[in-house]
Amino acid sequence: MEVVWAVGQVGAVWMAVVLCLIVLPSALGISLGISEAYMWVLVKTLEWATIRLQKGVKKPQPQMPQTPTANGIIERDETPMEKEIARLHRADFEFSHIFYFCRKGFEAIVEDEVTQRFSSEELLSWNLLTRTNVNFHYISLRLTVVWVIGVIVRYCFLLPLRFTLAAIGITSMIVGTTVVGQLPNSSVKNYLSEVVHLTCSRILVRALSGTIHYHNKENRPQKGGICVANHTSPIDAIILTNDGCYAMVGQVHGGLMGVIQRATVKACPHVWFERSEIKDRHLVTKRLREHVADKSKLPILIFPEGTCINNTSVMMFKKGSFEIGGTIYPVAIKYDPQFGDAFWNSSKYNIVSYLLRIMTSWAIVCNVWYLPPMVREEDEDAVQFANRVRSAIARQGGLTELPWDGGLKRAKVKDSFKEEQQKNYSKMLVRNGSIG
Amino acid sequence: VPWASAPVPSLFSLAVTSEQIEHLHRRFKQLSQDQLTIRKENFDSIPDLEFNPIRGKIVHAFFDKRNLRQESDGLADEINFEDFLTIMSYFRPIEMNMDEEQLDRFRKEKLKFLFHMYDSDHDGKITLQEYRNVVEELLSGNPHLEKESARSIADGAMMEAASICVGQMGPDQVYEGITFEDFLKMWQGIDIETKMHVRFLNVDTIAHCY
Repeated sequence: MEVVWAVGQVGAVWMAVVLCLIVLPSALGISLGISEAYMWVLVKTLEWATIRLQKGVKKPQPQMPQTPTANGIIERDETPMEKEIARLHRADFEFSHIFYFCRKGFEAIVEDEVTQRFSSEELLSWNLLTRTNVNFHYISLRLTVVWVIGVIVRYCFLLPLRFTLAAIGITSMIVGTTVVGQLPNSSVKNYLSEVVHLTCSRILVRALSGTIHYHNKENRPQKGGICVANHTSPIDAIILTNDGCYAMVGQVHGGLMGVIQRATVKACPHVWFERSEIKDRHLVTKRLREHVADKSKLPILIFPEGTCINNTSVMMFKKGSFEIGGTIYPVAIKYDPQFGDAFWNSSKYNIVSYLLRIMTSWAIVCNVWYLPPMVREEDEDAVQFANRVRSAIARQGGLTELPWDGGLKRAKVKDSFKEEQQKNYSKMLVRNGSIG
Repeated sequence: VPWASAPVPSLFSLAVTSEQIEHLHRRFKQLSQDQLTIRKENFDSIPDLEFNPIRGKIVHAFFDKRNLRQESDGLADEINFEDFLTIMSYFRPIEMNMDEEQLDRFRKEKLKFLFHMYDSDHDGKITLQEYRNVVEELLSGNPHLEKESARSIADGAMMEAASICVGQMGPDQVYEGITFEDFLKMWQGIDIETKMHVRFLNVDTIAHCY
């Protein structure tokens, strides 16, 4: 009996602390500086760990290259094919070509640019999480002790805290939006719906220990526009809604997600599609067009890559989002991998284990850049427009641009793309005068 | 780690770091989808390889028993990590500290690899037909090129090879095919070592201390 009462008291104190220190300030949009203090301690610890690791090295190290590991492990010779073949050309052209293609083939087998993007970025220095400890082995006792303390802190303190916050956040979202949804349509309802969405987003971001830096807030998406961003994880949506209200676009799910979707759509006009409707592209475009045409509706949020990429590059944008019309507001999101890997490798982890990993990382630190709005020009088609937007996002976020389709995570290269490349090679041969 | 006990092919004993082997092993696991061996189909999952015109020959080379230094001939059905490393060793870059003999052996190995790529029936000679096959593959996928152009290129090349290797031929002499010695002669003086290699970035980040 006594034990139950004691546990109850501890529980109550815990809840009170959480509510006062975290939930209330996020509802009001103010910060008590606790997360800043936490991040400061974390950064100092990781710096110390890096120095210890470097000291632990016995043999002299060669000069480290400037290029980060994220861009590959082999040195690629980027000479265009023409120069390469001209250099080698003696009597027989095809010998030169065979060298070139042999090497390219081997480079692709050792490491291909595409598959690389579907696994997590490799870190240059260990961040005290075992999951990134691929290259690093036992260094010193002190480091191991710090790591053990880290594990205890993360699993015994941070995880329950974050879990509580996430539960509070989701519950208040469902309850809040249902309540607001009962009101008749009016400006009061819209205002209250925004308050509810923002508050719950803030709570959820605290639940992930997220530190987000927003840049160029003057370019924030306006009503009646379309917000377009690169996709790394399901958290992207929460990162963005932390700073503004959007109308989400997506497929109707079952389970908890479905409950949230049904509740939120009452308060605010999100666009949820049934599975059958998603296949019909015209229907989707029509509905989105209607939404965008209504200037009083919130901007819609779309991730045109269609799948999660590992945040080192931006893959092909599907042109559907760019055919709707209206003003596009591009947003670049770049996560800092040092504190936690936000990338969702959906072939490796399911959503629950992914969320667990996120909640036992140190923190989620990211930068969000709002880019100036873009409109499709007269002589541009949807694909060119999509590429233009993609370049802007890649440039701002410091990501590489790849012409590949995110769908390659699961499927093979389209034949049309293959033919395109072969045609390029043949054109070059004809020009070279090697033939006929 | 099961592969750690596998003997590393001798060509690799020169200055390949364990990190590079680890990287290759991770890549192997990715390609094999966590199995112990790779089959031809596993190479289908590499998008970058898709539009390489000699893709077939490259993949074939991985399973060619001559390249795998096995006694028997023909094609293997599947290769393990040690075999994978063996094939990779053909594309090692030159090291600074190699002497004449090592350089020569190095060069011969690379040329032998290339020779095997041409000589698809494993008879030790590149015949006109085999040469034509390679040229056709290199030019494949181009709707504008006639098969005739590919043929004439191959014929021209064979004639030149014949003149280098055999000298003037009599009217009824038939040039059977390019043997490996002829092949070496054709490439004398041309620097191939720097063209046929894949260089690893030196990313000794934080080393282990043992």
